[in-house]
This record gives sequence, C-alpha cells and structure tokens, in this order.
Amino acid sequence: MKMLLLAAIVCSVPLAGCDVPYGNDDRSDDEKALQELNVNAKYTVESVQVSGQKNWRISDALRTEVDKMVGSKLDYPALDRLADRIKKELHVPAVSVNVGKGTEPGHVVVNFEVPKSHEQPLELNVAKFLYDSKLGWSAEGDGSTAIKGNKFTFGIVSDSDALIERFAGIKAKFERKHVATERLRVRFEFDSFHEQWNASTLLASDQAGIYRSRQVFMPEATLVIAAPLELDFGTSFSRYRPEQPGAKTESSNAVVTTLRYHQRWGSAKDPQDQELNGSFSMRAGIRAFETDADFTRQMAQARYRFRRDRNKVEVGFVAGSIHGNAPLFEKFVAGNATTLRGWNKFELDPLGGSHIVHGSIDYGYRWLQVFYDTGAIWDTARERERKQSVGTGFKKDGFQLAVAFPIRSSHMEPIFYAGLNF
Amino acid sequence: MLVRTIKTWWLVAAFVSGFGLAMWAEDLALRWHNNLLEFSAPHLHFLTGQQLERLHHGAQVPFDIKLSLYSGTKSLLFRQIGERFLMSYDVWGEQFSVVKTLSPRRTVAHLDAADAEAWCLKQMPFDPSGIGDTEKFWARVEVRVPQDGKIANPFGRDSISESGINLTGLIELFSHPPVSTQFHTTSESGPWTLEELKRGGRRGS
Repeated sequence: MKMLLLAAIVCSVPLAGCDVPYGNDDRSDDEKALQELNVNAKYTVESVQVSGQKNWRISDALRTEVDKMVGSKLDYPALDRLADRIKKELHVPAVSVNVGKGTEPGHVVVNFEVPKSHEQPLELNVAKFLYDSKLGWSAEGDGSTAIKGNKFTFGIVSDSDALIERFAGIKAKFERKHVATERLRVRFEFDSFHEQWNASTLLASDQAGIYRSRQVFMPEATLVIAAPLELDFGTSFSRYRPEQPGAKTESSNAVVTTLRYHQRWGSAKDPQDQELNGSFSMRAGIRAFETDADFTRQMAQARYRFRRDRNKVEVGFVAGSIHGNAPLFEKFVAGNATTLRGWNKFELDPLGGSHIVHGSIDYGYRWLQVFYDTGAIWDTARERERKQSVGTGFKKDGFQLAVAFPIRSSHMEPIFYAGLNF
Repeated sequence: MLVRTIKTWWLVAAFVSGFGLAMWAEDLALRWHNNLLEFSAPHLHFLTGQQLERLHHGAQVPFDIKLSLYSGTKSLLFRQIGERFLMSYDVWGEQFSVVKTLSPRRTVAHLDAADAEAWCLKQMPFDPSGIGDTEKFWARVEVRVPQDGKIANPFGRDSISESGINLTGLIELFSHPPVSTQFHTTSESGPWTLEELKRGGRRGS
C-alpha cells in the first residue's frame, strides 16, 4: 500500500511541481464550477460598496468594474479578484469581502472592507537591495505608519548605484494623501547623507565639486490633473559641505516639477496585462532661493511593460539634459543596475554626465530574463559615444540575479547583479 | 460522621469528574458498518474562528480531511485516505451547504454547523481490510484549510474526473507540516480492535 501511495505521489509530482498557470478557458471553467458550488451563487447582487477608510478613492476604471457586479448573480471568485485589485491600488495590507442579506429576498449586498488607515500597523519595506560586483552593496529600507490619513516614513539608505557617489544616511518623510480635495496631496521629506567617492571620480574632479555630506529638504505637492495624469510641484533645498578644508557650505535650491502618467490595463491574474509609466521632470536652480548652483535639469522617462501568459517584454527610454553648473548629485549616471547594465559607470563618465540618452529592452519568459541596453552619456558633443550591453539572468517576485556584458571590441568583463527591487 | 460524609462526596465528585473527562475525551469514535469503518468526532469542530467568519460573509471555504489508521505501534501508518470538502453558508437560509469534491461527488444543504461537520466524516468510510480482528490499531483525523483559505483549483487539472487525480495532491498536501497561519486541527483515539467494533463496542481514549 505504501508503495502504491509512493507511486501515486511520484506520478503526481510532474503535475504538482510545475507552476503552469491554467489557460484562461480552464480557469474560467474552474471558477464557474466554484461559483456554482457556492450556495450563495443563486442570489442577485443588490449593491456593492467599498468602505473602511475615509481619505481614499479607487480609480474610475476599478469603480466601473465594481459597479458591474450590481444586478448579476453573486460570483465570489470575481469578488476575490476585485478585492485583490483594490488592495493593490490602495496599497493596503488586506481587503475583505463581506456578503450580507439585501433589502429584498434573494438579493445580497457586497461590501469590500478596507482596513482604516489609522489601524494600519507599521509597514516595513525593502525599497532596494542590490549587490553589484563592481560597486558593492546598495540597500534602502524604510518603515512607515499611517495615523488618520497622515503617513510617516523613516528610512535608512546606503547606495552606490543611483548616483556617481555612494551616499549613506537617513530619510524621513511626512505625507498627507488628501488636502482639502482628493486631488491634492502634500509631502515633506528630509534626507541627510554622508558621501564616499570613488578614486576615479576624485582623480577626474581634482577635488572640485566633491562634498562630504549633504542635507536635503523637499516640500512637494501632487495634483491629480485627470487620473492617471499627475503633476508634482515643489522645491528642493540642498546644503552640502565641500571636501576642501576651509570651504564654506554650499547650497543648491531649486524648484521641481514632474508631470507623471501611469496607466495599467489588466491585472496579474488576467492572461495578459500592460503597464505604461511616463514622466517629464524639470529642476531649476533659482537665484531668489540664494542658490550657489545655477542650473536647469530636464529629464524624460518612459517605460512600457507587456505580459502575455509567461512572456513579458519591457521597453524603457530615458533622455535628460542639464544646462548650467549643477552639483554632482544632480548629474546623470549610466553604467549602473538600470542603465547600460554591464558597463562600469566610472569608466563611462567618472563625474556623471550632463546629457543622457538611453533605451533598453527586457524580455522575460517565466523566471528567465534577457536584456539589451543602449545609450550614451556625455558633457560635450565630441564625448558622445553610443554604448551597448547585453545580459541575462533570473527574475522572480522582485528578486533578480543577472550577469551583463558590455559590447565592445576590447576585453569584455561581465558585471553580476543580485538583489531585490533594483 | 462529618469527615466520612465529606470523603464520600469527594469520591463521588472524583468519579463524576473522571467519568465526565472520559466522556469528553471520546472525541473520535469508530463504528463498524457494512464492513467499513465510519469515523465520527462530535467534539472536533472545524467550523470555527476565521473560517466560520469567512463563511458567514458569503465565501466558500475548502476543508481537507485526512483519516489515518496506525497499527502495530502508534507510529506505523497502516492506511490513509483524504478528501476535500467545499463549505458555504447560505446568507439568507443561514444554513451550511457542503460539496464533496472527489469522485463520487456529493452535495448536501440545509445543515447546521455540527451536522455539516459530521456529514463530511460520514462521506469517508474507511476500508480496514488487512488488519486482523484482534490486532490493535489507532485512528486519527486531521483537518486543514489550504493556505489562506482560498480555493486555487479544487478539482486539479483534469477537473472533476473519475481518476480523482487530486487525491494524490491531497496526500501530498498532508505530507507537509501545516504552516503557522494555516488552520489545522487533529483528533486521535485508540487502541481499537476490529473484534471489539464488530461486537458494537465504542470507546474513546
């Protein structure tokens, strides 16, 4: 008998072990079967509401989906899917589905209950965790809690990837999601960092522009122009202490504006889904703010993702330009974990560039991933030179392991990346 | 005289409480019926807590039940069977409905919680052939709710088929220890003998 059981388990392993999502039709059949087996499937939905928190609003697209349930027979698997979508859209830990008696016999009311914001426990988040075989470790983590619509976040960071220098320190942020109107939210962020510089940067700069510490205060507001189109506007006050002995603290004070668009079609549970992120940002040093750095920085970014079953394609584009005398933390960087992967950023431009153009295409099948990056970073036109790189790796649930190679005629030294959310 | 009365009362109280505890301990009983063993566990309740709350809110909750017999020593598994039941609670009728998912599929409705639990065990007659009449054996019931209580695909890839392919899945599911967040309850009794059960004797442990 034991042998029979063992044989049965062994025979079922190929089926149980492989993570093959069922085809849409199969899943629909199972869901239909499930729906019919729920004794409440015979009841008609009288009304649907989303309750719990005061200061939030689900998107119009999702609201339409929710409202579609009214008048139809109760479909609990479909309600579960909607609850998942609400949870993701509102960034809340859970959304429960409660079905109760309606006002008429044979009718039921559905309530998606969102936990109240002041009841949300401390939420810990690993924003970034990366090992780069050339640059070492980068990590950023934060903890946040919401009290009556006010969100408080405190984080620590040590990052050698995003900028030309390694910056390590703390981040503190206060955010209120709705101010007077649901279309306006505000946030205040204070950061304090210590910097570490690579020898290539120190050599190229001859110590000019190098600073040892930096504090940033950013009051910002976001206006929802017409969802999903949003406009961020505010100011950024940065103070940094130059490395040179005796030099006075300098400041870079700028107005910041970002126009952002984010749209998603479908969800992870659908056989296919698409997502588009686009933004155009501008920072301009303002003399009225007594800035030492007089510059304007413009940057456009777009990223489109398409998934069909297990196939996923992502196309990204970045273009940016800086005019004037910008501090090093405003400069563009290529040759890190997101741009020209496989290249060493200090080799491409040890001081960061004032112009960048970059495009990338990533293809993934299940966990397997291959990518191609191309772009250029430069300060003067004659320095502009197109670079390319390719890579492959594994990506699953935010965890990524990749190896990337610069494409060039001389030696090709690969760079390894491993970590979360980079 | 007073001391003697107190002693008597103490003896009676001790006997009554001992008997009560013994009765309470009979939480898994076996019955010989049509050459099969029928399990019943009137004190084993799995329609409780979060599962019951979800049911009251209109959800359908799957329960996986495994019955096992151990012979020789308590650690030697003789045979086990598994079954998945889908429960739902009629928000208007305020009664439970249960579906036995593996072949042959059966459905029952209009039950209260205790009857719904009992019905599940009744759908799992156990064939003890291979155990000698006088051989001692132990019985065990294990109930689990799959992780997070949601039903991924209760029927397996072949849907509701005669092959009952999901039985192996259920056995595999029970071969892993439950995670801390997973609902899990068990009940055991024994030793029993078939001879005793065939005579109609019922006993708990």
